[in-house]
Amino acid sequence: MIHLAKEDIRHTLGKFIVTAMGVGMLLGIVLIMIGVYRGMIVDAEVLLNDLNVDLWIVQEGTLGPFAEASRVHDDLQYTIRSFQGIEKSGIITFQNIQLPKKKSKIRVFAVGYDVYGSISPINPARLTSGRPLKTDHYEIVVTDKTGFSLHDKIQLGRNIYTVVGITHGTVSSGGDLLVYISIKDAQELQFSYSNKRIQTDRARGIVNRDTHMVNAVIATVLPGYDTETVARNIHKWQHKSVYTKDRQRAVLTKYVVEKASKQIGMFTAILVIVATIIISLIIYTMTLEKMKEISIMKLMGLPNSMIVRMIVEETLLLGILAFIFGNIFSHLIYSKFPKRVVLEIPDAWILFGVVVVASIAASFVGVKKVINADPASAIGG
Amino acid sequence: MNKKIAIRAENLCKSFGDGDSLVEVIKNASFTINKGELIALIAPSGGGKTTLLMMIGCVEEPTSGKIRLGDETVYDDKWLTRETRKIRREKIGFIFQAHYLIPFLNIIDNLTLLPQANKIDEKTAKKKAEELLHYFGIADKAKAMPSQLSGGQNQRVAIARALVNNPQIILADEPTAALDMQRSVDVVKMLKQIAEEQEVAIIMVTHDDRMLPYCDRIMKIKNMATVFE
Repeated sequence: MIHLAKEDIRHTLGKFIVTAMGVGMLLGIVLIMIGVYRGMIVDAEVLLNDLNVDLWIVQEGTLGPFAEASRVHDDLQYTIRSFQGIEKSGIITFQNIQLPKKKSKIRVFAVGYDVYGSISPINPARLTSGRPLKTDHYEIVVTDKTGFSLHDKIQLGRNIYTVVGITHGTVSSGGDLLVYISIKDAQELQFSYSNKRIQTDRARGIVNRDTHMVNAVIATVLPGYDTETVARNIHKWQHKSVYTKDRQRAVLTKYVVEKASKQIGMFTAILVIVATIIISLIIYTMTLEKMKEISIMKLMGLPNSMIVRMIVEETLLLGILAFIFGNIFSHLIYSKFPKRVVLEIPDAWILFGVVVVASIAASFVGVKKVINADPASAIGG
Repeated sequence: MNKKIAIRAENLCKSFGDGDSLVEVIKNASFTINKGELIALIAPSGGGKTTLLMMIGCVEEPTSGKIRLGDETVYDDKWLTRETRKIRREKIGFIFQAHYLIPFLNIIDNLTLLPQANKIDEKTAKKKAEELLHYFGIADKAKAMPSQLSGGQNQRVAIARALVNNPQIILADEPTAALDMQRSVDVVKMLKQIAEEQEVAIIMVTHDDRMLPYCDRIMKIKNMATVFE
């Protein structure tokens, strides 16, 4: 049986492949956009997963340090530890700082933690070289994308820090590169002021500014205890907002990445529509180019189904080929993006489904042209 | 019933538009064409040749009248079948001014396309196509693309294509228009031979009076009706 679509494509193979590559690049960008969104979700949860704590105790009425400013006293950790069901507790600070590098500065997200405490935000699996912090002053662990090497010296505030460890794949919920410093250094950086500022504050009547603040107290729950119940108890007695890991994750996705994901979703939807329109236009043009042949085939008595099948198969093949090129394209370039791009197979399959549906929809313009083609136009020159 | 009759038209009329814009093209055309006849159809430009050809070819619906193709009445003031396309596929062959072969199919596929649409198995279709190519002296071009053949060779393939479904009728719309004198004579002689050998009625539209001596009869459209000379 003659396969009209196959023969037509073979006749104009180069043109067909180049067209598919063009549409494929568009689909590749769609995949990258979805990957950027997935990357944001992964990035947002890096710290949450690395800490792997059950409870986040934050300033009452706030959503916690991932979503808004929160300040609690650092000695709250001891009170929390005394609650029934608590296994261990710790303190943590988050702040954006600029690391000087050569003539420029790198924006990073600094996590301060108690070096001698029982909870560390550094996931040993991510530590590619060096070690975690050992002393509570002037040591820093940086992520590899900062470009620093082990033993590099970094000036922060009035002090010089030594890079003692390098991690890989650690970023904040906002996508900034993560560095780890001791809680004391973090408090000094966050809550200490210059001598001039202290003098001015004193002149204004502000004295003894409390530097023993942290952004959150974190805790794990003993096995056999209900995390929600422990959280309710802490909230009841300490008047602090308490979030379980799942609720903190929900806060992250709802408040931190929700708008970004909607934005990316909009872009993705628009790109899919644009791709559909482009495929429609290509198929329309390809059909127009064959109108004489189509009229002749109809005049000779070929059934519409045979000609329509050719158009639909060509459109589907264009879509599928473009999808394959799109995947190759996206896998070739995704690592070049400054932020994490996560390409997942289920997303690719969903896009494949969308491409198939879009291709069938796009073929309608060509099919309509075929059905309306006048066989009489084949005669008479 | 006369078994020799290939086409019979009775009081065939065709008009376009209505009211003040009514244009009559064919009026009460009645004629009979027998199997094995090569008929030249001549008329001035705009005289209704293509319209008549389209009506006989079951492409254009007449306004009124009767058309009989072989032993089947296909039109009697209305189409008597919903599948006019099937009639074309099975009973009629078409030859055009240019060869109009499907450019993305090779020669053998161009010839086997229609039989395969008629549900004839690929092997039988191919055998028939090869016989025709052999008959027309272009058997070695079976795998070639139309763009690789000369104009004359392509026109012979086009004639072979018109024959491949064993039609009762061949409608040829100025098949020699794109050819030089010698090739034109060759093509018309070939059509004459095919008509006789295969018992096919051929209506050939032509503007070239030099082709008329090779035809059995000449049908003219005069005052919108058909007359034989």
